[in-house]
Amino acid sequence: MNSVIIRRAAETQWQAVVDDRIVGHGDVSQRPDGRLFVSIDVWQEAVFGRLAAAMLADLPTPLHTLVGEAEVDLKSRWEQVGFTVGRREQEYVLATEPGDSRLDASQPPAGVTILPAGAADEDLLRALDRAIREEVEATVGWHTMPAEVLPRPAGTTLVDPSKYAVAVRNGQYAGLVRVVPVRRRARIGLIAVRADQHRLGIGRALLTHALGSLQRAGTDSAWAEVDASNTAAIALFEGIGAQRTGGTVELVRS
Amino acid sequence: MVECLRNATFKVELQNGHQVLAHISGKIRKNYIKILPFDRVLVEVSPYDLTRGRIIYRYRT
Repeated sequence: MNSVIIRRAAETQWQAVVDDRIVGHGDVSQRPDGRLFVSIDVWQEAVFGRLAAAMLADLPTPLHTLVGEAEVDLKSRWEQVGFTVGRREQEYVLATEPGDSRLDASQPPAGVTILPAGAADEDLLRALDRAIREEVEATVGWHTMPAEVLPRPAGTTLVDPSKYAVAVRNGQYAGLVRVVPVRRRARIGLIAVRADQHRLGIGRALLTHALGSLQRAGTDSAWAEVDASNTAAIALFEGIGAQRTGGTVELVRS
Repeated sequence: MVECLRNATFKVELQNGHQVLAHISGKIRKNYIKILPFDRVLVEVSPYDLTRGRIIYRYRT
C-alpha cells in the first residue's frame, strides 16, 4: 500500500487518503447527554488503525462507539485500539397484530387507565418523565439505557408530548410509553414505570395499548432496543412474543 | 435496498440495475437509523471492488 495521509477534514471528520483517493472516513458526534461517539469506515483494513490513532490523539476520553453484534471484525479492530465492551443492547421486533404475538385483549390492571398519546396533561407528563429519569439515574444510571440521539432543547428530555401514552394508577401518573412512527414500522423509544409501581402489570398494559394503537393505524410492527442487563424489560418484551432480531455492542475507551 | 442479508449486509440495487452488497456506515449505526427493504439509500461503492458498497444515507421517501 502506498503511503497514507491522514487529515482532519472538519471539526468532526477525518479522512485517510491514498494516491489522492479517500479510502477511509472517521467521524465524531456528541449525544444529547454529552457522550462522544466515534465511527470509522474504511476500504482498506490497514487504514483503520491509522485513522483511529489520529482521532484518539485529537479527542478527549471517554469515547464510545457502536458495532453490530455480528460485526466481529469491526469489534476486534476497535478493541485493538483500546476500546472495551461497555454494554450490549438487544433489538426486538414486535408484531402489532394480536394473532402474531401473545398480546391479549384484556383490560389494564384494576385501578389503571391508559391515556392515549396526546391526551396526558403536559405538566404532569413532564413531572413523570423527570421522576423516572431521576430514579434510573439513582440506580443503574441513564447511560445504561439505549441512546436517545434526537437533538432536544437544553433542559428538557421530553420533546414531543403528543408521542407519549401514560398509565394512570389511582389518579397518579405511574408510567409512560413513547412511540415514534418511522415509515412502515414504529419505534418504541421509551417505556418506563415509576419504581414504586413495578410488578403491577403497568408496563404490559402500556405496551399492549401502544401496539394496539399502531395496529389500528395500519402499522404492522414496531421495534425496540433493550439493554442486555435489563432483565425486567427483556421479560416484558419476550413475554408478549417479541422476536429478537439482532443486537448492538457499545464499546468504550476510557 | 432490496434485501437484508446476514451479518448486517444488504443487497442494494443501483439506478442502473447493478447490484452491490453493502454494509451500513458507522454514522448510520451511531444514529440508530434503520434500513428496511425498499428504502431508497445513498451508497458509496468501494473503489477496489465495484460489487461492494456502504450505505451512507437513507432517504426519507
